[in-house]
Amino acid sequence: MKVTDLLKENAIALNYKPDSKNALYEKLVELHDNAGNISDKSEYMRDLIKRDEEGPTAIGDGVAIPHAKSAAVKRPGLAAVTVPGGIDLDALDGEVSNLIFMIAAPAQGGDTHLEVLSRLTVMLMDKSFRERLLSAGSAKEFLKLIDQKEAEKYGSEDKKAESEAAKQGLKLVAVTACPTGIAHTFMAAEALEQKAAELGYQIKVETNGSGGAKNVLTRQEIAEADGVIIAADKNVEMARFDGKRMVQSKVSDGIHKPEALIAKIADGSAGIYRHHGGDAGAAAEKQGGDGVGHSFYKHLMNGVSHMLPFVVGGGILIAIAFLLDDYSIDPSNFGSNTPIAAFFKSIGDTAFGFMLPILAGFIAMSIADRPGLAVGFVGGALAVAGTTFASLVDPEANIVTSGFLGALFAGFVGGYITLGLEKLCSKLPDSLEGIKPVLIYPLVGILLMGIVMFLFNPIIGALNTLLSNGLNAMNGASKIVLGMVLGGMMSIDMGGPFNKAAYVFGTAAISEGNYDIMAAVMVGGMVPPIAIALCTTFFKNRFTPNERKSGVVNYIMGLCFISEGAIPYAASDPLRVIPSCIVGSAVSGALSMAFGCELMAPHGGIFVFPVVENVVGYLIALIAGSVVGALLLALLKKPLGEAAGLKK
Amino acid sequence: MVSKKVTVTNPEGLHMRPAGVFTKSVAVFDSDVTIKFNGKTYNGKSIMNVLAACIKCGSEIEIECSGSDEEAALAKAIELVQEAK
Repeated sequence: MKVTDLLKENAIALNYKPDSKNALYEKLVELHDNAGNISDKSEYMRDLIKRDEEGPTAIGDGVAIPHAKSAAVKRPGLAAVTVPGGIDLDALDGEVSNLIFMIAAPAQGGDTHLEVLSRLTVMLMDKSFRERLLSAGSAKEFLKLIDQKEAEKYGSEDKKAESEAAKQGLKLVAVTACPTGIAHTFMAAEALEQKAAELGYQIKVETNGSGGAKNVLTRQEIAEADGVIIAADKNVEMARFDGKRMVQSKVSDGIHKPEALIAKIADGSAGIYRHHGGDAGAAAEKQGGDGVGHSFYKHLMNGVSHMLPFVVGGGILIAIAFLLDDYSIDPSNFGSNTPIAAFFKSIGDTAFGFMLPILAGFIAMSIADRPGLAVGFVGGALAVAGTTFASLVDPEANIVTSGFLGALFAGFVGGYITLGLEKLCSKLPDSLEGIKPVLIYPLVGILLMGIVMFLFNPIIGALNTLLSNGLNAMNGASKIVLGMVLGGMMSIDMGGPFNKAAYVFGTAAISEGNYDIMAAVMVGGMVPPIAIALCTTFFKNRFTPNERKSGVVNYIMGLCFISEGAIPYAASDPLRVIPSCIVGSAVSGALSMAFGCELMAPHGGIFVFPVVENVVGYLIALIAGSVVGALLLALLKKPLGEAAGLKK
Repeated sequence: MVSKKVTVTNPEGLHMRPAGVFTKSVAVFDSDVTIKFNGKTYNGKSIMNVLAACIKCGSEIEIECSGSDEEAALAKAIELVQEAK
């Protein structure tokens, strides 16, 4: 530990004339407080006095080093005072003291304070150095003298220590997160843990999955860490990492390139993260390949992942309502004809009503942090309402909701409006700091958001209607092609951007009332794991014993619509596995469309089959796609030889 | 000249207070008291020297005394290190 790491300019007072030891100590405690080393001045003072009663801290030659280990110390630090006139501190040699250094050591300090003590005394043994310190004209000069002396005495040692610390015993913390939070999050966590263990580093990985954050990092762990790795495709709580060395990347880099991420921390090339409330600071620290596309995707996915629970719950309840209702009573009121159906329908509708505001709100929050939430939320609600300036003047005007597209627009615009406001407001005096989040951002942000939405609603509404009508007008062949493409997309990257793009399109279609698209998307996503599982069951000789063992799990993954189950197989043999899966998924997507299957819930796999429209057709689509995928895979994959230890 | 090795057991190492007690207590002897640690030699009668040595818990140091009362000085010095709190 270097002396100059602990002593700051604002903790140095020159030419002080204390009238008592107490006054001197109070001055030093105040200096520690200036430097932010202690949390409680009076508690620290008490510990100092207690330590003083055990024996003098003046070590002679005019030097005194009072010190205390105390719970009131936040971080180890030094304060220094020069007293040219001298003050009697009961020195061993009976002389007065004129160079006073005070060490603040945390209660659980280890050997730090002993090392500092040692360095100080080594330097202060030099008489001419003491005289130079006493005649220093400014705190800056004082600090510079110490720095020079330390470099002269310890320079080579410090360099060695620094490079050694870099090599061994790094402590890391990491956060992994992906939008769905089922597979990638945990795969990245595992990859990072394994790689760190291999390199002999300590690591703790927090996983922000769909079930909330697990293995949450404590403040102490973050404080002790040498670096932070964020491998996430959605936003994670960042304020706590302020001031830490940080690498930010996509979650897939956590899975595939854990070594590169860790190396960035180990070799010191990672930048220091500064939290600015918004995303701007984070963006500045991001590494290459993490451009506009990725941050767009991340913001979108933050919205989608928060929206999903509403769609799942609402969608299934609405589907149940249709299941329980009697169509013949009043076709135009289908879903609410019987009381029991109306019960499910009204709950489901309410949940659905939150969908777009939540989407917009959390996109904006991803961009601009907490202040963005309200702005985006209101924007999303205005998109649903479809209100325009024209409709204000003329109550008869035809209101067209701008729907999913409008909510997307509102989320991004709302986020950047808030960011812009934060930039503008940063010029305001600090005294207004407090009212920015409680008054300025909400008021001005929501107002601006409203104006923008009123202006753009007609345009986006028209676009939305066009798209919606286009989808509705699609028939026969074109719908089947659409189902084929979407189903195939689900298999291209098993949970990556292509998969998510198709998926978001499916959920968007639900919000517009086109339920067949979601059905094709889900079946496409269910096929890859099932196809692989079938193949491991019926064509055992194509797989290693391990692969066959986890094949069983893939049946379950597939039935639950967790495409990610296929990733390990795809990763080990992408050129054969991925094309087979794409074809299988495309077949099932096309069949689902051909059979006119409809699905109102965007997730759930086999568990939502009871509410699927034309469930028999849907099952056929699933089975056909899976079988085609499995057969194709068996055809492409060569049987493993005896060398792999398998019976033919 | 006599010398003996001793391990520092005080969890805080030879920090200021035990170092002060040590230097004060050995100062009464006529003999020279030196501490050998980490390949260097320190004057055991100077608190600054002892502090500069940065002797942490678990370190093995060698104490060397030479002079008319060297046996007594060494015995006292060893006792001080072992009992340092």
